[in-house]
Amino acid sequence: MMDFNSVSVGIASVIAIIFFIYSGVHIAIALGLISFVGVLLLKGNFDLALNLIGLAMADSVTDEAFATVPLFVMMGLVVSRCGLGRDVYEFGNLVFQNLRGGLGIATVVANAIFAAVTGSSIASASVFSKVAIPEMIRYKYGKRFAVGIVAGSSVLGMIIPPSVMLIIYAVVTEQSVGSMFLAGVIPGILLSVAYCAAILLMVIIAPRFVGGTVSGAPRPSLRLLVREAFSKLGPVALLVCGVLGGIYGGILTPVESGAAGTVAAAILGALKRRLTFDAIWGALVDTGHITANILFLIIAASIYSRMLGIAGLPTMFGEWMSGIQMSFVAFMFLYVLLLLALGTIIDTASIILIVVPLFLPALQPFDVNLIWFGIITVIGAEIGLLTPPFGISCFVIKATIEDPTITLNDVFMGALPFAGVMLFVLVLLIMFPQLSLALL
Amino acid sequence: MTSVAHDNVKLLNPFDRLIIGMNTLGSVWILFLILLVTTDAMSRSFFLHPIAGVTEMVQISIVGIVFLQLGDAIRNGKLTRADSLLTLLQTKHVRLAHGLETLFFTLGAIYMALGMWASVPLLMEAVERKSFLGNQGVFTIIVWPVKAVLVLGLLVCLIQFLRLAFRSYQLAFHAEHSSTTLVADYDI
Repeated sequence: MMDFNSVSVGIASVIAIIFFIYSGVHIAIALGLISFVGVLLLKGNFDLALNLIGLAMADSVTDEAFATVPLFVMMGLVVSRCGLGRDVYEFGNLVFQNLRGGLGIATVVANAIFAAVTGSSIASASVFSKVAIPEMIRYKYGKRFAVGIVAGSSVLGMIIPPSVMLIIYAVVTEQSVGSMFLAGVIPGILLSVAYCAAILLMVIIAPRFVGGTVSGAPRPSLRLLVREAFSKLGPVALLVCGVLGGIYGGILTPVESGAAGTVAAAILGALKRRLTFDAIWGALVDTGHITANILFLIIAASIYSRMLGIAGLPTMFGEWMSGIQMSFVAFMFLYVLLLLALGTIIDTASIILIVVPLFLPALQPFDVNLIWFGIITVIGAEIGLLTPPFGISCFVIKATIEDPTITLNDVFMGALPFAGVMLFVLVLLIMFPQLSLALL
Repeated sequence: MTSVAHDNVKLLNPFDRLIIGMNTLGSVWILFLILLVTTDAMSRSFFLHPIAGVTEMVQISIVGIVFLQLGDAIRNGKLTRADSLLTLLQTKHVRLAHGLETLFFTLGAIYMALGMWASVPLLMEAVERKSFLGNQGVFTIIVWPVKAVLVLGLLVCLIQFLRLAFRSYQLAFHAEHSSTTLVADYDI
């Protein structure tokens, strides 16, 4: 009888949290406050519930791994402000300019490379909507195609390491940040390749949607290519090697590589005379806001996950799943459906923090690899960045472009094929876990 | 923006300055952390001589940074939320939207108050016991200053949420205004 009661309090709390979030309460407040009320009802002890909040605020973000959040956010912002994204795009442009749909492919490839030095989709979306969209429109590419490709490829920032979302998943499930990063490499490359293939396919089956003319410029000479590769790709390649190489070579911890990467990016920016003190200061202030927001959310999520544990909800959920003998395929199907549904309205970090503690115990009977499950979770939740009604990447692009003739609807319609490609890649990753785990 | 809200800006200006000052301190702290960790990594890799206590410094810094900058994040509307319903209401039912906002900001204030209520005893305990982090003889760092920053940060967030709630309340029930005020624009 007691069990039934505590489980129903748990379920009621989860429903209340979802309801509050959908109404517009700040997600951290909804999670923390309702979980507090939940514990209060479950234990009937005010001091105990209060203590839970106190400990969560003081202790739940003290793990050294949390320092990777500000460090990689800062590195991404510094890299963006150095104009390294523009450099990589210009190089991609040079290589692919003579191909139909080539500017689209250049955008994807540049995004994939840029993603290896930034940890956020938002950074990629704002950089490339300023750089790539005007260029594609200049060459008469379809507007929807141009904005869609920028939205679609911005998602790579969250999958190709370093990625803030992979860090959040790692700290919530107590996996190593380095392993999560490593697991993101092949899926990220796979998604980039799939995007490129999709573009080439669209050129054939939907030429009106793609539009565009080939620049007609002569093929760049090998000498020009080498020189451009050196000056435009070189700095980014150096950063990628330093940051990811440092982690995998075992020389640097993720925290150290984030810090050293930031310093290296700032030095590069200073050498290129693109980074003023004001720019660094602006990046620091933005880093502070982003970090405070994410870690405050994590604090609330730790109260939430304690509440779930006290209610016995995850255990009950796991038992119920094995009781009805749901197949693993069915389980994953439902899970992805849930991620997609939540992704339409809340951001990836919040989805990870709400869903993962609930599902983790339910995974036990299936004996799944938690690192693989993390990659699935992050990509599944990221699809929501591209889909209406509230795809965040699409909002950022709409806000950044200066062309009033491109509506938000255009951005969503353009992004839709790429969301489809993502879903396809997600299914591949679910079917073949080796894709995520091969490098570990 | 209504004249009432405008008066508030003048009245509470020192508080804004406090929030911005704390945010600046947090930014400097992040910069310090970046340089500290980089120096440690360099010094360990090239001179086989790590700096003592970097891990402890990093651990203790994160809480400090978060609570120094949270107030400003709230003030700038950077706290994550799904504002779709509010945006929807904004066009037709402005007062209802502001009414809901009042409620939501009040919930934020309650959460911060609970956090403070819970954290003050932890701060007292840390002061009394002179709690520290690290290994004695190698490197130790006293923890109460960070706990004090945490309590101060929560207090600032509490006051900021109350200010926002108060402004939304006035917009919902007192102000005579057109439907132009944006929900997201709570940078007072």
